[in-house]
Amino acid sequence: MTKYSGLRALVVEDEATVAMLIEDMLEDLGFEIVASVASLVEASEVAVNVEIDFAMLDVNIAGDLIFPVANLLSERQIPFLFSTGYGATGLPPRFSRCCVITKPFSQAELLEKIVLALDN
Amino acid sequence: MLDVEELPEAASTSSEFESMLAAPPSALDAIPGAVYICDHRGWLVRYNIEAAELWGQSPPVGENGVQLCGSNRLFLVDGTPLALDDCPMATALRTGDPTRNAEVIMERHDGSRFIALVNIRALRDQSGAIQGAINCFQDITAYRAVAEELRRRNEDLEDFFNNSAVGLHIVNGEGIIVRANEAELSLLGYSADEYVGRHIAEFHADAPVIDDILHRLSSGEKLESYHARLRAKDGSVKHVAITSNGRFEESKLVNTRCFTVDVTDLHEAEAARRESEERLAATYEAATVGIAEANAEGRLLRVNDAICKMLGRSREELLSMTFADYTHPEDIAEDIALYARQISGELGSYVLRKRAIRSDGTTIYLDINSSSVIDASGFRYGVRVIQDVTAAKQLEDRLSASERHFRKLLEALPAAVYTTDAEGHITFFNQAAVAMSGRTPQQGDLWCVTWRLFNADGSPLPHDECPMAVALKEDRTVRGAEAIAERPDGTRVPFIPYPTPLHDADGNLIGAVNMLVDITERKLAENRQKTLIDELNHRVKNTLATVQSLAAQTARHADSADDLYHRLETRLLALSRAHDLLTRRHWEDAPLDSLVREVLLPLSGDASNRIEFNGVRVNVSTRAALNLTMVLNELATNATKYGALSSDAGRVVLSWNVRSQLAATLLELEWQEIGGPPVSPPDRRGLGSRLMKRCIERDLGGELDLVFAATGVTCRISISIPAEAT
Repeated sequence: MTKYSGLRALVVEDEATVAMLIEDMLEDLGFEIVASVASLVEASEVAVNVEIDFAMLDVNIAGDLIFPVANLLSERQIPFLFSTGYGATGLPPRFSRCCVITKPFSQAELLEKIVLALDN
Repeated sequence: MLDVEELPEAASTSSEFESMLAAPPSALDAIPGAVYICDHRGWLVRYNIEAAELWGQSPPVGENGVQLCGSNRLFLVDGTPLALDDCPMATALRTGDPTRNAEVIMERHDGSRFIALVNIRALRDQSGAIQGAINCFQDITAYRAVAEELRRRNEDLEDFFNNSAVGLHIVNGEGIIVRANEAELSLLGYSADEYVGRHIAEFHADAPVIDDILHRLSSGEKLESYHARLRAKDGSVKHVAITSNGRFEESKLVNTRCFTVDVTDLHEAEAARRESEERLAATYEAATVGIAEANAEGRLLRVNDAICKMLGRSREELLSMTFADYTHPEDIAEDIALYARQISGELGSYVLRKRAIRSDGTTIYLDINSSSVIDASGFRYGVRVIQDVTAAKQLEDRLSASERHFRKLLEALPAAVYTTDAEGHITFFNQAAVAMSGRTPQQGDLWCVTWRLFNADGSPLPHDECPMAVALKEDRTVRGAEAIAERPDGTRVPFIPYPTPLHDADGNLIGAVNMLVDITERKLAENRQKTLIDELNHRVKNTLATVQSLAAQTARHADSADDLYHRLETRLLALSRAHDLLTRRHWEDAPLDSLVREVLLPLSGDASNRIEFNGVRVNVSTRAALNLTMVLNELATNATKYGALSSDAGRVVLSWNVRSQLAATLLELEWQEIGGPPVSPPDRRGLGSRLMKRCIERDLGGELDLVFAATGVTCRISISIPAEAT
């Protein structure tokens, strides 16, 4: 049991293999993966309708930017963590203070960022 | 003059009176002069003819005749009446006092008067008693008039001498000043005491001059306006003109009379005029510009050296010419026409550049500055100041040719170029400058051709602080600056300016040239490169994440380290081959048959000839290509290890087709293993099937149906593709 046991997580990641890794890592930390999606449409649907406590958002999702989903989550005050290959510079000003993790990352790094994202 | 004292005595026995009375009338008449005698009572007793003539009458003689004088009345010389009792005759009779050379006026009966010089002596007997008196008189009216005239003349002369406006002095034979008048004294500022009695040489500034003057005068020469310099009391030197001659007596110089005229002012004015004239003449000749005077017909009246040299003609030659004579035929008419207008007064002056022919036939360029000298009667003569501008003209021509060339060059440059004067006013700009600034610079524009300027960071940049303004204000070349120009239409152009100050031969700042290099393309390229690097970074990071995931997943499901290594290797190599294909296709859509070949053939090794594949020509997106690669790799790996490709008899058929539906175009693939060992479903769903399902269903939104049939594994895949992919 970890401090995040039972927290429901959404994973938005367009690469299946990477998604599998993230899911595994989150599950190891105690999260329950309630959705893992690879498109903006599916992600938006989950962000609006599904009870979740946390989201991992790939910034570039099959060519689309994830920010509309981030907005929806912000409105619901659901904490989230951006994952990207670009680094923090690719974020618009509105999200410049949000937590970002750059791929590839270790489970320890992920935990560190999740702590920041959930405790803020 | 009659001297009565010298009358001879008549007789020793008789008295003078008695002798006179006794003498015959002829005796008295013989006396050269008027004579009359009165007795002691005053009665006129005797007179001679001359007396009667003077009196204008012959009065009776003797007692009860005429008393004291034969004239009608007597006056003093000042005109006051003289009573008879007071007259000299009465005095002589009464007192015996003689009268000598007294003058009285006698009036005749007719009222005419004459001045009489009278000499009266009493006549006494032997005892000394007065018996009578004798008066010898003469008319001295004429003499008196002459004397008066002389006196008056002398007075005039004295007055003339003393009060003359001209200085006068008299010097004696020894050179000593004996007289000097007021004018002379005031001219030199001396009092009479300081001047008179001194030697004249003391007052001359030039000893040789006074020596010469005295020598000439003593030689009898007359001086007329002889120029000398006198020393005044205040130390100043007076220029004088001396007119003098000597007075000689018995060929000995008695004195000299000098008129001294002060010509100092005249002399100074003359000297000034002469100097002015000399200077003018010298200036005229020394001037390096040609100066000529011409009459109304254009004939040259006076020319200086410069113009002679310019035209290679002598003064005499030029003075026999008109200015048209040496003017280039094509330029004569204009000069003549202008000159005529100048002479008529229509033009005050004019300036003309014309060609002239030198005596050697060569052509030179002259700048003519023509004006008139005018007096009350109108035009006197024309003054023409002439400058040889041939060299300047040639230089100008060369320069303008060179400038035209230069401007053409600037025009042709693909970069925006403009120039300014030292104050920053735009003096030239090329078409590229107009194109870049989106406007045509206006008269009076300063510093830059652009509409608006911004710094590279986007903040506004005032024109007077732009790099060109800095270059001009600080007189230095500015490099390394970068700015953004905004056109009136709002579009912006990033550029690099190259402002460079320009200097004349003396190093004075005369302006600047600026080139504005449009770096839009460079900026875009920089951005593209940055995007590319970002994209590359993204892909690398994502790929690493994929590798990380594959490694982690493979490790979880591996039976052994060997198994882990082998499975991870095949997955990575499949991924790598897909990347190779996509890279060759520039990461654009890839033909499906190429993809299948790339992925399956190397993987299957010897078994590759037992894989059949066929399908329609269709392109798949990079994303679909990558996911299909993963799936095919898993299928082939499984078939090689456990399925149809694990035995020599088995084979695989892969076929695909495209089916259009109302909403989408579907790509359907079928993987079928035939003739292999009997298949039993796996006891647990391995990583491979999980991965395949995720790739197709999650990532591509398609469907994957994997069946472990006993006769062989079949896998049906369906994904939607863009309609134009076929």
